[in-house]
Amino acid sequence: MTGFWAKLRRKTIGSWIITLLMYGLALTWLYPYIWMVMASLKPTSEIFSHGVFSGGLTLENYQFLFGSAAKLHRPFLGSLFNSFFITLTVTTSVVVTSAFIAYAMAKIKFRGREQLHNFILFQMVLPATMFTIPMFVLIKQLGLINTYSAMILPALMSGWGVFMMTQAFKGTPNDYIDAAKLDRASLRQIVFNLMVPLNKSIVAIVALFTFTGTWDNFMWPLIVVSDVDKMPLSVLLATFSRQYGDYVGPVMAGSVLQALPLVLLFIIFRRYFLQGMSLTLK
Amino acid sequence: MTLKSGHLTEAHIGAALAILYLLFNLLFWVYPFLWLAILSFSDWRFFGTPSFSGLKNIYIILEDREFWGSLWNVIRFLGFYLPMVLAGSLAFAFGLQHIGRGKVFIALSFLLANVSSGVAYSLVFTKIFSSTGPLNMFLLDWFGVTIPWLSSPSMAMFSIALVVTWKFVGYYGLILYSGLMAIPTEIYDAAKLDNPPPLTRLFRLTLPMINSQLILVLIFAVTVAFGIFTEPYMMTGGGPLESTNMPLLVMYETAFSRLQPGRAALMAIIIAVASYLAIVVIRKTLEKDVGSA
Repeated sequence: MTGFWAKLRRKTIGSWIITLLMYGLALTWLYPYIWMVMASLKPTSEIFSHGVFSGGLTLENYQFLFGSAAKLHRPFLGSLFNSFFITLTVTTSVVVTSAFIAYAMAKIKFRGREQLHNFILFQMVLPATMFTIPMFVLIKQLGLINTYSAMILPALMSGWGVFMMTQAFKGTPNDYIDAAKLDRASLRQIVFNLMVPLNKSIVAIVALFTFTGTWDNFMWPLIVVSDVDKMPLSVLLATFSRQYGDYVGPVMAGSVLQALPLVLLFIIFRRYFLQGMSLTLK
Repeated sequence: MTLKSGHLTEAHIGAALAILYLLFNLLFWVYPFLWLAILSFSDWRFFGTPSFSGLKNIYIILEDREFWGSLWNVIRFLGFYLPMVLAGSLAFAFGLQHIGRGKVFIALSFLLANVSSGVAYSLVFTKIFSSTGPLNMFLLDWFGVTIPWLSSPSMAMFSIALVVTWKFVGYYGLILYSGLMAIPTEIYDAAKLDNPPPLTRLFRLTLPMINSQLILVLIFAVTVAFGIFTEPYMMTGGGPLESTNMPLLVMYETAFSRLQPGRAALMAIIIAVASYLAIVVIRKTLEKDVGSA
């Protein structure tokens, strides 16, 4: 602590003020989260009448979400499960398929590789929202409206994931792969035991950004799912808030549940998030 | 060339993986792509076979004041958003340069906003902005005023821009910060000889040096403006008086409330083209070779 103050004193007044200002701003930026968590722990009647940190704390909002909300046809526990099921399935699939295809793109010579690369680049240029309506038509034709498949199948592979991993895999020396082949390693072994561990951070980045993107996805599940038992948390929470907006406490408790997995992932894997964010700079 | 069996199977595996990707995209990318084209020229209400209607969708959209209003709202949004987010992320980047301790904590606090869930923070801000919410209570206690953040047509877009700024300042700031870090210190040392006033130094030296990062931020910001959906859907529903009605909201409504997927598909194309053109304009007018600057 003394070292800290000594350091601060040595600085000019200007940077002293800037540091304080930045801490203040950082807390301001965190304020919505703090307010959300505190509101979720207070009875609805006290949320607006008390300051952020005053008043008694209770878990009744969470009890409401996981208990009585089901009687209002808002099965939050189920939707939490849906969100995890959909997000984990999509993330696993994207990571696995991207790793295999990226290995082919980066390390195997085959006819049409260049064209495939260009196709993927073209895919990444076009905005996904352009495909929302026709994708809905396809899902409808396949008879998949109101199913998990509607939310999972279209996202099983990702051009972005393939692209990111291809770029990284290219940097892995061929010697490693040749050595593995001499040991008669199978394709699966080369990808899982060699390429993935050697490119751990890019694999983590693809996994984390796919997870957050899928968990946070709102428009697509809103369109393809109207059955409350199939809804991910994001959509169920939105419909609940539309109908029972006055239940501020439970709405905030639901928001905490919706935000918490992403916040935890971010805090635990902050290194990869920072890396991933700066990767897009190139 | 000798037929090495190992090499042969390897190429086959590569091709097989490529075909796997292509088959998936044939169904979930090419097929919808074709439907996008068909829908744009069809009169269809989700049932039966689409009938060719030529340019009818275009004519109807040309007269659709709600849709053009929503594109105008993109410009209004940018009018609020760009100054706030550019000033904010620049300040964040400069600030980050000047702090020794706690840099990581501060950066993470700002970036946390960027990874959080759209539905969750939209709900939180709806409550924070509400007439009896904490923000208005604070303003009432200190200044004796309250502000109709989301309920007044002239304020609602500003409030949404404020939320989106909150979300992206950390991310954009990080981009600008990486640009600032890349400026060679010799350039500043050389500039010190002339001792220019701080503003001159900012506009003539620092900003031109991070031109490419600034353009990247501008492009991201414009893309966000055209693609915004969750925030207005959750916070205002496009109101009041359509003042926060964004293109994707109109597209969504057109397809699923008015049951006009053809028109909605064409809108999606127009939105994508408009967004693309905006980016081209930014690139053409602002991008310059740093060496000659």
